[in-house]
Amino acid sequence: MGASRGISISLDGVRDKNVMQLKKLNTALFPVRYNDKYYADALASGEFTKLILGFWFYELGNGGLRIEPCLSLDYDINCSLGVLWILGLCFYVLRSYYSDICVGSIACRLEKKECGAVRVYIMTLGVLAPYRGLGIGTKLLNHVLDLCSKQNIAEIYLHVQTNNEDAINFYKKFGFEITDTIQNYYTNITPPDCYVLTKYIGQPQSKK
Amino acid sequence: MGASLPPKEANLFKLIVKSYETKQYKKGLKAADAILKKFPDHGETLSMKGLTLNCMDRKSEAYELVRLGLKNDLKSHVCWHVYGLLYRSDREYREAIKCYRNALKIDPDNIEILRDLSLLQAQMRDLTGFVETRQQLLTLKPNHRMNWIGFAVAHHLNSNGAKAIEILEAYEGTLEDDYPPENERCEHGEMLLYKISLLEECGFIERAYEELRKKEFKIVDKLTLKEQLVSLFVKLNHLEEGEKLYRALLSMNPDNYRYYEGLQKCVGLFSEDGLYSPDEIDQLDALYKSIGQEYHWSSAVKRIPLDFLQGEKFREAADNYIRPLLTKGVPSLFSDLSPLYDHPCKADILEQLILELEHSVRTTGGYPGRGKKKSPRQHLCGLCFYWLRDFMLVQHYDRRGLYDTALTKIDEAMEHTPTVIDLYSVKGRILKHAGDLEAAAALADEARCMDLADRYINSECVKRMLQADQVALAEKTAVLFTKDGDQHNNLHDMQCMWYELASGESYFRQGDLGRALKKFLAVEKHYADITEDQFDFHSYCLRKMTLRAYVEMLKFQDRLHSHVYFRKAASGAIRCYIKLYDSPSKSAAEEEDEMSRLPPSQKKKMRQKQRKAEARAKKEAEGKNEETSASGVSKSGKRHVKPVDPDPHGEKLLQVEDPLLEATKYLKLLQKNSPDSLETHLLSFEVNMRKQKILLAFQAVKQLLRLDAENPDSHRCLIRFFHKVSSMAAPVTDTDKLISSVLEAERPSFSQLHGKSLIETNISFLEKHKDSLIHRAAAAEMLFVLKPDKKAEAIKLIEDSNNILVSTSEAIVPVRKWRLKDCIAVHKLLGTVLVDCDAASRWKLRCAEYFPCSTYFEGRSSSAFSKSSEHHISRNSENGGANYTADENAGSLASNGKLEAFQNLAI
Repeated sequence: MGASRGISISLDGVRDKNVMQLKKLNTALFPVRYNDKYYADALASGEFTKLILGFWFYELGNGGLRIEPCLSLDYDINCSLGVLWILGLCFYVLRSYYSDICVGSIACRLEKKECGAVRVYIMTLGVLAPYRGLGIGTKLLNHVLDLCSKQNIAEIYLHVQTNNEDAINFYKKFGFEITDTIQNYYTNITPPDCYVLTKYIGQPQSKK
Repeated sequence: MGASLPPKEANLFKLIVKSYETKQYKKGLKAADAILKKFPDHGETLSMKGLTLNCMDRKSEAYELVRLGLKNDLKSHVCWHVYGLLYRSDREYREAIKCYRNALKIDPDNIEILRDLSLLQAQMRDLTGFVETRQQLLTLKPNHRMNWIGFAVAHHLNSNGAKAIEILEAYEGTLEDDYPPENERCEHGEMLLYKISLLEECGFIERAYEELRKKEFKIVDKLTLKEQLVSLFVKLNHLEEGEKLYRALLSMNPDNYRYYEGLQKCVGLFSEDGLYSPDEIDQLDALYKSIGQEYHWSSAVKRIPLDFLQGEKFREAADNYIRPLLTKGVPSLFSDLSPLYDHPCKADILEQLILELEHSVRTTGGYPGRGKKKSPRQHLCGLCFYWLRDFMLVQHYDRRGLYDTALTKIDEAMEHTPTVIDLYSVKGRILKHAGDLEAAAALADEARCMDLADRYINSECVKRMLQADQVALAEKTAVLFTKDGDQHNNLHDMQCMWYELASGESYFRQGDLGRALKKFLAVEKHYADITEDQFDFHSYCLRKMTLRAYVEMLKFQDRLHSHVYFRKAASGAIRCYIKLYDSPSKSAAEEEDEMSRLPPSQKKKMRQKQRKAEARAKKEAEGKNEETSASGVSKSGKRHVKPVDPDPHGEKLLQVEDPLLEATKYLKLLQKNSPDSLETHLLSFEVNMRKQKILLAFQAVKQLLRLDAENPDSHRCLIRFFHKVSSMAAPVTDTDKLISSVLEAERPSFSQLHGKSLIETNISFLEKHKDSLIHRAAAAEMLFVLKPDKKAEAIKLIEDSNNILVSTSEAIVPVRKWRLKDCIAVHKLLGTVLVDCDAASRWKLRCAEYFPCSTYFEGRSSSAFSKSSEHHISRNSENGGANYTADENAGSLASNGKLEAFQNLAI
């Protein structure tokens, strides 16, 4: 990726010390304001389940990209809570910057189906406007997909507004497919309908 | 010792001494009691028992026993020595010296006592005594290295450097040729360097040089050796050799500013004030360019030329300097350039430069003059330092006082990347400059919330809160970073002086003099502690031979109280005492008196209010007690329990008999250590006028005029003083007559008053500075003081002032000249001294125009003006919360959409 030369991107988990950064991101990115409970849940469940999000560092060699997961995910999938959150903050780093700037985030939760299987729901994924087109969104999504395959989670899904073709195309590139349409899902925006995009991991992907 | 005792007890006595030295106090105590059983009046044993108890935290018993012991055996040097040790442990050094001297009268050659005495004398700067004691020690034990060195240092401190050199040479004469042995080379080298620096200090430059050359191979610290040598070269005017050596030093460290300065001196291109002729500038430029080629990684070599270059050359150099640092993203870049803003033309050039860079990056994504091709990397950099450049521009506008522009710019940057913490801190700083302290504190708090693990941001937030007088909140915030359980006291233990000063100032502004005094005096205490801290070094440094550092440390301690923090604390305390004197706290009777004058209905209300307040205070106190007792239980394992502060609100501090006497105590320290600060003499004037000490006040006036005769405050003091003198009754007593004759004799020495009345003096002062707001205000105030009936004229004088627009070149937005703090001072003057509410409110309206962000003037953009905005925000978030389940995905797609679009571009 030519565009990544000279920069590195690192991932960090959300902690009580930096949750404000997530708030700032969400305020800038989404037309919705999340209440304090959203953040409190994110933190509380993260701690409760000892969820450690791996800190990844993309080291840039001469033209090559090396990915090093420093820590692996380690949590009890059968925990009684039933809901897990995976929250990631993406830091965009130009070499020799003293402080990293947080430019994107992904938030997911784990859901237990009636049959006992576990699936992942992507709640939000966003990157600040000036930093788009650098592959940051891809990295965030890949990170989650990777975790899913490591944990043998077969299903991952999300909701998309029906007119958002760009987003639909983006997800389709990763093997997501439209599996359902929900009428009147949104209350404040038009069109109010949404698609459900789902990807089944471990199955042959139709599109690459 | 213990000679008067039979053998068995004598042995026991030795055991006490040994136990004391090895800190086995219980054992010592047992032995002492065994002796005292048989000889209850044995003085030395009683003393030793006391000393042992002192180490076991039983102070009062200790003093009793030691005094009793001394009474029983006045002829014992042991008893006197012990008494001295006791005083020393309580830092009562003067008393301790007296005791040691008595001990020495009985046993003049006691090495231990002599050594202890010498330490105390060094601490108290009893320099002649120190020399004597050291001499005696050397005579007694001349084979001891430390005694020679100590004697030399004593003479040096007593400003007899030549003698010190003699002693060191005599000491060297006692050494063998092959000295020093391998394991003492460092110490010996230090001694030699000390001697050479002494020679230099005494002006024996030639001798120092010879000595250095002769002993070169014995000196271990080669870097200091070179620096010493080069300083001698310069003093001997061997400039060519000096230049060579400076160049060699630069090759070791091309970022040391002192080397550059030295090099400039050697090549004859140095001026103290930094002003050079065009010819010299060319030469300097060439010099730095040639060095820069050699050490391209040095930043000093690139930065220094910005100080002397002018015009086009400055522009070019600044451009070259800024670009790489901007690309790299050095956040301190602006602080680095900030001093250049003191030169108006350089500030203009910098402004043009930054604007150009901004424009170019905004339109092409790269720096100007680099062609149209833009590599992806450049594009990225453009993105990434977008905020930083804005950041730079913002600070630039802030520095030039264009707060509106700065705020617009920073809001742009925040919209661009809302997650950069520094943007919030900088915006807070701008708002502070613009006069909206509350909003500044709120922004600093926002920045703090974004990274709760950052102590710096936390501290900055605390500072802003204190500036906005939110002391309780600030305290809570500061405590987040102190050790658990220690809470607030920890800040004091850490000698966190900026905090104590800022909260003292805040309490002072709020009129809580007790708490303010407490904080200011706490800072003063820190300085006493720092003085105290040098004690251990008197013996340590002589032993370790770090003599140059030791003498330097002593000199530092001698001017310790001139430090700016001490100055602030002392002047804060003095202001508190002055205020206390002007409006003493009301006694209960007076309050009762006031109450009785109120109508009954109001009285009832007041009573109720008081009762409520009392109940609240009681409740709080109980809560706190519970807390402390709870934490006391959990910490019961620890031996040392911190004593509770008996006077947390500083109420006792307010109950001083004579506030001015207390003030004088600190004033003396200021006068001694900061004689060149205007504030010192202003305070001295205020205090002495109140104390009716005419001559001392007169002295303060003279000092003020010496420092800055054109300062409005100096003018105020001058006029007030002579006005007061002229209104005094004719002298009656001898002292009064003496005073008036002194004033008579001195008056002609004031050029301002030559053959003029005070009114005329005031007018000529006004004429001289008629364009300056603060000078006009001072003149108006004095006019009112001299002629109270001319109040209207005084007010007109102020209101006729013009806020001139200053612009240095066409390209730049002009800046108004008035400063916020001066305008506030003028407003207070109108309201409280001239007592004209109409004029004050007219002034306020006018200033609200100039300073729209100022909360003081309630400008239209200040937080005082629009309190309702907060409500909006909180309502919004509630709304957001209600429907968040349904909406949470709406956002994700919105952003994903755009992201996708960009990715198509990249592919």
